[in-house]
Amino acid sequence: MVLAAMRLQGALNGLRRRPGRALVGLALLGLVYWGMHEITVRALRFLDSYPDIGSIADAVARRSLEGLLAVLMVAVAFSVLTGAIGTLYGSVDLPFLLSQPVAAYRVFALKVAETYASSALLPAVFTVPVLVALGGERSAPAVYYPIALLALASLYALPVALGALLALMLMRVAPAGKAREFATAASVVVAAGLVFGLRALRPEQLQAMTPDEFEALLQGFAALEIGWLPSAWAADAVWQGLAGRFSAGATLLVALALVALAGLALLATRAYATGWYRSEGDTPWGGGRKRSAERVPLWERVLGPLGGGILVKDLKLLLRDPSQWSQLLVLGALAGVYFISTASLSVDIQRFRDVIGAINVAFLGFLLAGVGVRLAFPLVSLEGEALWLLRTAPVRAWRVVFAKFLGALPPMLALGVGLGIAVAGRLELSPALAFAAPLAGGLAAFATAGLGVGLGAAFPRFDSVNPHEVAVSSGGLLYMALSLAYAALSTVLFAYPSWRALVGGRSAFSWTAPDGLLVLGALVLLCALFTVVPLLAGSRRLSRWEPSE
Amino acid sequence: MIEVTGLVKRYGRFTAVDGLSFEVRAGRVLALLGPNGAGKSTTIRAVTGQIMPTAGTVTVGGYDVSRRSLEAKALIGYVPDRPYLYPNLTGRELLRFLGRLRRVEGAEERSRALLEAFELTRAADELVQTYSHGMRQRLTFCAALLHRPQALVIDEPMVGLDPRGARDVRALMRRHADEGGAVLLTTHSLAVAEAVADEIVLVARGRAVARGTLEELRQRVGDRDADLEEIFLRLTEEAA
Repeated sequence: MVLAAMRLQGALNGLRRRPGRALVGLALLGLVYWGMHEITVRALRFLDSYPDIGSIADAVARRSLEGLLAVLMVAVAFSVLTGAIGTLYGSVDLPFLLSQPVAAYRVFALKVAETYASSALLPAVFTVPVLVALGGERSAPAVYYPIALLALASLYALPVALGALLALMLMRVAPAGKAREFATAASVVVAAGLVFGLRALRPEQLQAMTPDEFEALLQGFAALEIGWLPSAWAADAVWQGLAGRFSAGATLLVALALVALAGLALLATRAYATGWYRSEGDTPWGGGRKRSAERVPLWERVLGPLGGGILVKDLKLLLRDPSQWSQLLVLGALAGVYFISTASLSVDIQRFRDVIGAINVAFLGFLLAGVGVRLAFPLVSLEGEALWLLRTAPVRAWRVVFAKFLGALPPMLALGVGLGIAVAGRLELSPALAFAAPLAGGLAAFATAGLGVGLGAAFPRFDSVNPHEVAVSSGGLLYMALSLAYAALSTVLFAYPSWRALVGGRSAFSWTAPDGLLVLGALVLLCALFTVVPLLAGSRRLSRWEPSE
Repeated sequence: MIEVTGLVKRYGRFTAVDGLSFEVRAGRVLALLGPNGAGKSTTIRAVTGQIMPTAGTVTVGGYDVSRRSLEAKALIGYVPDRPYLYPNLTGRELLRFLGRLRRVEGAEERSRALLEAFELTRAADELVQTYSHGMRQRLTFCAALLHRPQALVIDEPMVGLDPRGARDVRALMRRHADEGGAVLLTTHSLAVAEAVADEIVLVARGRAVARGTLEELRQRVGDRDADLEEIFLRLTEEAA
């Protein structure tokens, strides 16, 4: 408790020092809360009022809640797996804390709590208003609210416990000296594998079952009453809570969370300190292998002049830091998941394929927005304490920011354009949409890389220990809001060619016709706006950034 | 070479530097001497263009650091008190990066010579994270000297150095000044200031409480045999 209070005090002091930033963050949080609450209220009222589905409205709402909780639970698991090592073994305050006369498991508990807060905070911001709106609409008793919040807290505690457990185990088996690097890479591979594996199972293939097979599956599922997944238990806890009851699902969920956390604490008393010592055992110079030579490699000579050497430097740091290069694995897994999801929707009728193609154009923007928060947004902050080397060099902030943009763009461009081409080819879209898909991906790559690097420069966190942590900030929230705004605006512009292609057939719309060129011009303008303005604003703010006294 | 005039730096209601003025001419070593929290490091940050003064001006080689920062920074070589370097680059790669960043002509040869001079050649191709504190400090000196700066700005130069390293750094500062460069250093080590500085500015609470050569400071306290420690204590107590 003392350690947690100290950490909380530090966070509050930080907010007091930057009240403006805290206010922006609170305003954004309030906006998200209000938006989610409104959407939920409207959706529930729509379900209740619709004549054909009114009788099953409750079941539809409950399944939707289960779906939302399942998605967010996986999101928390993913976030914890990719960030837990950094927080549990890489935090800058660990040497101080572990040198105090405090049991190691208490330090571990503090770090698990920090992991929990950083991973579950954003999903909770999305979930709490949904639960509050549900309670309000269903006139729930007062006891519903603590039950629902307890279920939510327990649900998100499970992936956090799983991630921390994996971190403990990996740090025990990883080779000493490189334990942190090895364990980070391994846990990110597990996370990428988890998401990719879940999706690769293609649950929509249930459609291909015979009616008898499907009925048998349903009967088996119904017999379980509350389902297999903790997200279903949480939904059950919420639903029973609406009637003022603490259900079997709630009991199961809370008990499991408590057992998981207690088991973790027990393991931590034995394994945490050992893992920490292993992570600190860096080989001194003379014992490691040579990582450079007097002769400059060819690739460095080619790329060296770009961005004043920053690009080459960043590339080397990326390849040598698992917390950075592992983000590329995440990128690969996301691309795979997206492609499998879209390809599995393949249908025979051209018009339906084009409908999916039109939706794909919108989704590419959202996907790249999600990728940018991990890949582009942290780039400036990753300079960390070495920033003084750039700040004291005769280099404009613009040059630094642009070099970072050059670093973020290629992987995002490859992802956006590559997915666009792959999906268009797999779905055999009509020409207008086949061109629109890679175009949407390419433009979104520029816009989200520009937004990410620009806002990352405007709201840097040079004290962060890993890229995962950097985005948990008001700047990160602003990036998400603006990148989603870009995705929405570009979707509106792409709606015209999509609509023309859908109603008029394969050759109804041409990108080289006057209206096509007009749409293209508007898209490029929108992309340029979302790319250049944040880069300029970020450069300006970065040039004025000062270390605190 | 370095001219600080009426420098003020405020952080909210806290004034870190309060109207500080001094000049470091070419061929001279000036030491800013003062207790912790006196405003020495803040002054150094203003000189190296890392922070903007609230009031006053800082010029390096005639260039205002606030308005012509690129030209001013090109003339400065800087060694911070906590020399954090990219841990996943090798020493050679760090210098190569800085050579590109600062567009240094013949950076490869210059790097080789500096690594040799600071006895880092054997470790040059290993990652900085494997270096000891002293090695990192020496690599930071290499980085500061890579572009042949006219002004050398050093914040607490002896932190983490062994006696031999400290002696070499003292010699380096003296040599830099003797070759026509200017050296500005901060320290709270009286011995360092006494050993290398041509001029000393005593700083307390963000203000200069005394300045001059060691001899001039002795005259100021009226004790011709006083060492720098006694002078420092008497003058800072007077200022408080």
